[in-house]
Amino acid sequence: MSAHFLNVIWVALMVATVLTWFIGKSGQMDTGAVVAILVIAALKGWMIIYDFMALRRVRLLWRGAVLGWLLATLALILLAYWLGLK
Amino acid sequence: MTGTHGASHSSGHKLHHYPPGDLAIWVFILAELFAFFVLFNAYAFTRLKHLELFNEMQLTLDANAGMINTLLLITGSWCVARAIAAIKANHCRHSAHWLLVAIGTGVGFLIVKYFEYGAKFSLGINLDTNLFYTFYIALTMFHAMHVVLGMTILAFVWKKAMAGGYSAHDHHGMETGASYWHMVDLVWIILFPLIYVMR
Repeated sequence: MSAHFLNVIWVALMVATVLTWFIGKSGQMDTGAVVAILVIAALKGWMIIYDFMALRRVRLLWRGAVLGWLLATLALILLAYWLGLK
Repeated sequence: MTGTHGASHSSGHKLHHYPPGDLAIWVFILAELFAFFVLFNAYAFTRLKHLELFNEMQLTLDANAGMINTLLLITGSWCVARAIAAIKANHCRHSAHWLLVAIGTGVGFLIVKYFEYGAKFSLGINLDTNLFYTFYIALTMFHAMHVVLGMTILAFVWKKAMAGGYSAHDHHGMETGASYWHMVDLVWIILFPLIYVMR
């Protein structure tokens, strides 16, 4: 992984974090906001798993285990919040 | 043991059989991730039965502190990734410096947490205050313990790096510590929006 690429990922993660915080500060927490926050969390997690943990070029079994954790956790959280918004 | 982790070729891309670092740490990482999976969902589904309480109490949290800590952990993870990139280029001292900055972000995280907890505890808030604060304190303290363990591991790796103990061909131990530190960051990536932002 090149240093430049890692820097780009770091900046993207920082911007995404501020965006999440901003959505939270901006007031109304409707379905759109919850979905946006969880999608941002998924993208951040994906970048950490692929580029910081360096699982991008690791066999699917290992990569899938961590990505599966990320997606399953976020999907169940989404379900819980969706049920709460109904 | 070297820094390479058995590789094969698939569709023209080099695919490693195993993740970076020691396999034992990955078993530990997966166990930790499962524990947080259970805790996060316990929070989310318990919240369903106490929506008003959780929404009201969450507004009493310091989301700014949560954001600053997220930025610190992300920066720490980036520093560790840069340390690995540096050691792969055989720059051992350079790599050690990145590790030291990463440890510094962990210290920063704990300082922010100290003030955040201090503000709550001075108001008499504790684990028994209500269900939301039980989750908030338990989840964030459990995570903070992982930050401390991650910093301890990084400190040992840093010490060895300072002594020139790693090279481009031998950095398996550094990758092991790095993988654990990234896990601590990954978990917080979900904890921050879940506890501090979403309501």
